[in-house]
Amino acid sequence: MSRRPSLDELAVRVSAAHDEVVARGETFYPGPSRVHLAAFPPTQRWDDWVELDSRSWPERIERRYMLVPTTCFNCESACGLLAYVDKETLQVRKFEGNPEHPGSRGRNCAKGPATLNQITDPDRILYPLKRAGERGEGKWVQVSWDEALDDLAARIRAAITEQRHNEVMYHVGRPGEDGFTERVLATWGVDGHNSHTNVCSSGARAGYHFWTGIDRPSPDHANAKVIFLISAHLEAGHYFNPHAQRIVEAKAGGAKLIVVDTRLSNSASHADHWISPHPGSEAAINLSIANYLIQNDLYDRDFVRRWWNWPEYLASEHGHAEPTFETFEQILKELYSNFSFEFAAEESGVSAGTLEEIAKIVAQAGTRLATHSWRSAAAGNLGGWQVSRTLFLLNALLGAVATEGGTHPNAWNKFVPKPIYSPPHPGTWNELTWPLEYPLALNEMSFLLPHFLKEGRGRLEVYFTRVYNPVWTNPDGFSWIEALTDEKLIGLHVALTPTWSETAFFADYVLPMGHSSERHDVHSYEQYDGQWVGFRQPVIRTARGRSGEHFTDTRETNPGEVWEENEFWIELSWRIDPDGRLGIRKFYESKEHPGEKLSVDEYYGYMFEHSVPGLAEAAAAQNLTPLDYMRRFGAFEISKKVGRVFDQEVPAKELDDAATGEFGRVFTSAAPPESTNIVPMGAPEPDSEGRRPVGVEVDGRVLRGFPTPSGLLEFWSKTLADWGWREHALPGYIRSHVHPAKLAEDQMVLISTFRLPVHIHTRSANAKWLDEIAHTNPLWIHPADAARLDVNAGDLVRVSTETGFYVVKTWVTEGIRPGVVACSHHMGRWKLGEEGQGQMMASVTLDGKDGDWSMSRTKGVGPYNSTDPDTQRIWWTDVGVHQNLTFAVQPDPISGQHCWHQAVEISKASEDDRLGDISVDAGKSREVYTRWLELTRRADLYSPQHTRRPVWMMRPLKPVREAFSIPEQRR
Amino acid sequence: MSRRAELWRALGALCETPHPSHAPIAEALGLQGPGEAAGYTEAFVFQLPPYASIYVGAEGMLGGEARGRVAGFWQAVGITSPPEPDHLAALLSLYGALDEAEEHEREPARRVMRREAKAALLWEHLLPWVPIYALKLQQVAPGHFAQWARLLSDVVLAEAACLEGQRKLPLHLRSLPPWEISEASLEELVDALLSPVRSGILLTRHDLVRTARDLGVALRMGERRFVLKAMLNQDPDALLDRLGREARTWVVRHRALEGDIGPIARFWAGRAQATAASMTETLATLRHAMPRA
Repeated sequence: MSRRPSLDELAVRVSAAHDEVVARGETFYPGPSRVHLAAFPPTQRWDDWVELDSRSWPERIERRYMLVPTTCFNCESACGLLAYVDKETLQVRKFEGNPEHPGSRGRNCAKGPATLNQITDPDRILYPLKRAGERGEGKWVQVSWDEALDDLAARIRAAITEQRHNEVMYHVGRPGEDGFTERVLATWGVDGHNSHTNVCSSGARAGYHFWTGIDRPSPDHANAKVIFLISAHLEAGHYFNPHAQRIVEAKAGGAKLIVVDTRLSNSASHADHWISPHPGSEAAINLSIANYLIQNDLYDRDFVRRWWNWPEYLASEHGHAEPTFETFEQILKELYSNFSFEFAAEESGVSAGTLEEIAKIVAQAGTRLATHSWRSAAAGNLGGWQVSRTLFLLNALLGAVATEGGTHPNAWNKFVPKPIYSPPHPGTWNELTWPLEYPLALNEMSFLLPHFLKEGRGRLEVYFTRVYNPVWTNPDGFSWIEALTDEKLIGLHVALTPTWSETAFFADYVLPMGHSSERHDVHSYEQYDGQWVGFRQPVIRTARGRSGEHFTDTRETNPGEVWEENEFWIELSWRIDPDGRLGIRKFYESKEHPGEKLSVDEYYGYMFEHSVPGLAEAAAAQNLTPLDYMRRFGAFEISKKVGRVFDQEVPAKELDDAATGEFGRVFTSAAPPESTNIVPMGAPEPDSEGRRPVGVEVDGRVLRGFPTPSGLLEFWSKTLADWGWREHALPGYIRSHVHPAKLAEDQMVLISTFRLPVHIHTRSANAKWLDEIAHTNPLWIHPADAARLDVNAGDLVRVSTETGFYVVKTWVTEGIRPGVVACSHHMGRWKLGEEGQGQMMASVTLDGKDGDWSMSRTKGVGPYNSTDPDTQRIWWTDVGVHQNLTFAVQPDPISGQHCWHQAVEISKASEDDRLGDISVDAGKSREVYTRWLELTRRADLYSPQHTRRPVWMMRPLKPVREAFSIPEQRR
Repeated sequence: MSRRAELWRALGALCETPHPSHAPIAEALGLQGPGEAAGYTEAFVFQLPPYASIYVGAEGMLGGEARGRVAGFWQAVGITSPPEPDHLAALLSLYGALDEAEEHEREPARRVMRREAKAALLWEHLLPWVPIYALKLQQVAPGHFAQWARLLSDVVLAEAACLEGQRKLPLHLRSLPPWEISEASLEELVDALLSPVRSGILLTRHDLVRTARDLGVALRMGERRFVLKAMLNQDPDALLDRLGREARTWVVRHRALEGDIGPIARFWAGRAQATAASMTETLATLRHAMPRA
C-alpha cells in the first residue's frame, strides 16, 4: 500500500493541477466562488482567453479572445469594461466588467455590456456628413474629414484673429474625461466651454461648494453606519454602480439606509427607512434633523468649534455678542429652533414621529454618516441648492467629514494627472455662458443660450455640440430649434456624436465620434475614499497593437470613418494655427519629435510616466511602460484611505513669511509644493500682499483646512452675504416654486427628473437590449388622484404646464405620493425624416408658426430592415413622450440650476388628443424666462469688488484674473 | 498563488454538489474517484450538512446566532458575507483567500494582521466543529467522502499545530449555557440531544436507524426530532442507556483530540460526559412525566 503524500506534497499537486487546467483556458473550480462574488479571467490570460461559443451550444466550439480593458461611456460612473476581442475576426464579441478597476471592481450595470449594441448599432453615423438643404431639412451629403476640418479651422482662425473669441463655443453633455477639451479651448484663448451642468447638478454643487470650497461629495458608503440618500443613488444616480455595491456592502454589515425620494424608486425599495416627502420640502426635513442634534447637544462640539467659521459669523452678524463658542452655540440653538419635527411634517407631509425616528438614527451614526444629494431635489426646486447645503450640515454637526464612513469633499478622492502641456487661462469672458445676472452660478447658464442669442447678447460663429442633445434634454426645446435654425444667431453648428440626436438634425456638420471602446480618455471619479485614474481606449487598436501593428490614427481601426476626439482636436488645432503664429500649435507639438504633431501615445505616455504617482513603479514591476500598463489593465489605484486632508499640519517649509488673517486664515510667500494632481477646487484669493492662502490656524496649529476663503467649513457664507443674498448665507430652507402654498387648487407637482436604471438620457437609445427593457415613460399617478380624475392605468391624459401640454399614458401606482405625478426622462425620442435612430425614435411632424409650436406623432417604432436582424424583431411601438419641450426655463437665481419640477394640471385627454402630442406657446416661454430673470441680483449691482463672480469660486475653464473685472462703464 | 491556499480551496470545492470538474481535483488530492451524487446527498444532505451553525449553535439547527457570528467574521475581514457564510465550502475557501493574502502581503505589520485573521478563522470557526464533524463523516459517508473527511481533518489539525492557537475557548462554545437536563421536559431533552454542542454528541439519521434496529423499536419516518421522540416513547430505558453509552464513546473521541485542540476538545468531552452522566437521572424524571403511547 502506497503511503499518502504529505500535506505539502498534496498542496503542490493540487496547485499544479490548478495551474495546468487554467493554462488550458479551462476552469478548475466549478461555479462561482463563495468568497468572491464573481470570477474573472486572470490577467495573465488576457492575451489568449478561451471560452465556449454560447451561440454554438450544445456544440462545444472554442473561441479565443484578447481581453482589452476600456471604460464605459454611458453614465458618469466610468466603470471598467473588458472587451472580448475575437482573435479570429478582430471584432468585439462582448463587454464584461474589468476586475482591475478600483471603482467598479469588475461589476457593471446593464448599460456596460450594452456597449456592444452601441458599437454595432445599425443606425449609427459612420462618416462625416454635411447638410445639403436648409438646416433641419434632413438632407445630408458625405464629406471628407479634411473638408470639414478645413472649414472649421478657417472659421475658428478667423474668429480668433478678428478678436471674436466669444463666437466659438463647445457645449458638452457627458464629458467622460477630465479637462482635455477645456485645455484645447484654453490653447485657442477662448472662454467657450459650455456644459450641461446647470440642467443637472449645479444646485447640489452649490450647496457643497459654499460649505467646503469643493463642489461634489464623496460619501464613504462602504464604511458607513448610516447612509442618508436624497434621491435614487442606489440604482440611477452618480455614481450608481460603484456606489450601489458599496451601499449594499454597508447594509450587509448592519448599516441603516435612509432614502428620501417622493417616488418608490429601486433605492427606496432597498431602504430601511423610505421617506416620501412633498417635493421641495427636503431641506426642511434636513433642518429638523439638524435641530434635533443641536437642541439635544448631540453634535460633535469639538469639531464644530474647530472647523466651522463661527467666529467670522459672529463678528459679521452678531457684532455685539461675546465672540465665544458658547455664545455661538446659544445662537445656533435659536437659529434652528423653529425647525421642529412638527414644522417639517407640515411642510413635507411626513409624520413628525417618522422624522424623529430618522433623526435618532442619524444621531447614532457619529462620524460614520454618509450622505449624498445630487440631482433630484437639488435640481427640482427653487432654492434646491439648500438641500445639499442642509444635508451636509448634518455631516458638519456630527464631524462626519472626510472620516471613515463619512462624507468627503470629492477633490481629495480624485486625481487629475497633469498633462504634457498646461496652456494659460483664457483672457476673455463669455457672457453668453456667464452672464452678470448669475454671478454665483456654479456652471454655465447653458439652457438660457437661445434666449440670450435672441436678445442679441451675442452670436456664435462655430457652435460645437458634443455628446449633447440640448433640443431634447434641455427645457424649452422649441426655443433651441428656433436658435439653431437661425443662421444669423449660429453661423455653423457642428454635432460631434456617435449617433443621431434631435440636436444633430439641426447641424451643419455631423461628425462621427467613437463609443467607449473607440476612443481615448483619462478620468478619475470619487467613488470611495481613495484615488484612481481610469483609461478609456480604442480596444481594436490596442488589440492589434498587441499583435505588433502600430497605429497613429484611431480611424484606422474604428468602423467607417468614426474618429476619436483627442486626435480630432489635435488635428483641428494644428489646422487653425498651421504655422504657429497664433501660439496655438506649440501645445500640439511632439516633445519627442519637435516640429511633428503630438500623438495620443505620446500625450498619455507622458502623463502616465510623469503625473501618476506609483504608476511607473507598478509598470516597471511588470516590465511594462506606464502607458502599456494602462493599456493592459485600464486603471490604476493611486491611494486608499486619504482621510482628513483638512486636518493635516502644514509643514514649516511652507510657512515662509507666513501671515495670519483676522479669523485664522494663514497666508504664505512660499511656493506651493509640486503636485501633479490638478483636480479642480476653490481657489481662495491671496492676501493684500500677494501671499497665497496655505492653511488655517486651529488651536494654535496651522492646518491645511478647506479651499474656502476662511479656510474653514463655511456655515455662514460671506460670499453669499456679500453678493446680495445675506438672508440665505446660512444653511436654510427656501420654499420651492412648487410649494403647496404656491399651487392652484387643481395643480399637482410633476417630477420629471428621474432616471430609469437601464437608460442614460438620450445616449443609450442605440442599445437594443436596453430599449427592449425600457422604452416608454408613462405618467406615475396615485390611485386616489386617478380616481379623482376618473382615469385608469393606460388611459391618455393631458399634462398642462405653464407654456403648453403633452399627452401621455398613465400608470396608476401607490409608488408616488398623492398630489404628485412623475414622468421619467430618457423617453419620447423623435425624428422628422428617414435619418435617425430606428429603435427608439418615433416619426413626428413639427409645426411652428408665430411661436405656436406643435408636434404630432405620425408613426411609432416598429420592425425594420437593417444589418442587424434583431431590428426585425422590434415588438414595441410606444416610445414615450418628449415632455421637456413643454417646460419653460426656471433658473435658480443663486445656483443657476434649472428648477425642473413643474406645477401642472392633469386632465383626461380630449378626443382629438393622441399619444405624444405636444403643444407649446413660445411666447409664454419667453414670459417665464423674463419672470425668473427678475429674481436675480446682478453682479454689476451687488459685486463687492466689481468682479463678474467671486474669483475664488470654481469655474470650468477659468479665465485670467483680469477678465473677472466688470468694465468700468458697466458698473 | 499560495500552494496551501489551493489545498484549502480544493477541499472546499469537494463538499459542493458533485460536478464533472471535481475529478481532477479529487485526483490531485489522491482521493478515490470523484464523489457520486447519491453519496454526496447521503453524506451532506441527509446525515451531516456541512454548516457550522448546526454544530456550534445552541439550537443545533441552521442559522441563528452561530451563523450571525460567522457572518460577522466575514465582515470583520472586509469580505462580503456570502448567502451561506457558515457553509464549510465557504469557510475553507475563505481560509484559502486569507492564506493567500498573508503570503502576498509585503508589509510586515499587515502580514501579522493577516496571519492573525487566519488564526481567528481557524480557532473560532473551524476547529470548534470540523475535527469532530470530519470524524463522524468518516463513519457514515461512502469511500470518497470518507477519504475527503480524513484529509480535511488532517489538514485542519496540521494547521492548528502550525498556528499556535489561543488558549481561550472560542466564542461559539463560550457563549453556551451550561448543560442542564435534570428539570428538562421531553421536548427539551430531545432538543438538547440533537444539538451537538449542547450534548457533545453527533446523532445522525443513520445513528437513529441503527439504534432502532439494534433496540428492536419501530422507526417512525420523519425528521430526527420526531424519530427520537417516537423512540423514547417506545422504550426509554433502552434508548437512554444506549445514548449514555454513545455519549461515553464520544468522551473518548473528544479526549483523543485534546493534544491537537486542547480547550476545545476538553469542552466537547465535558459536554459528552455530562450527557452520559445525566441519562440515568433523566430517565427517572422522564418516566414520571412522559405520556405513554
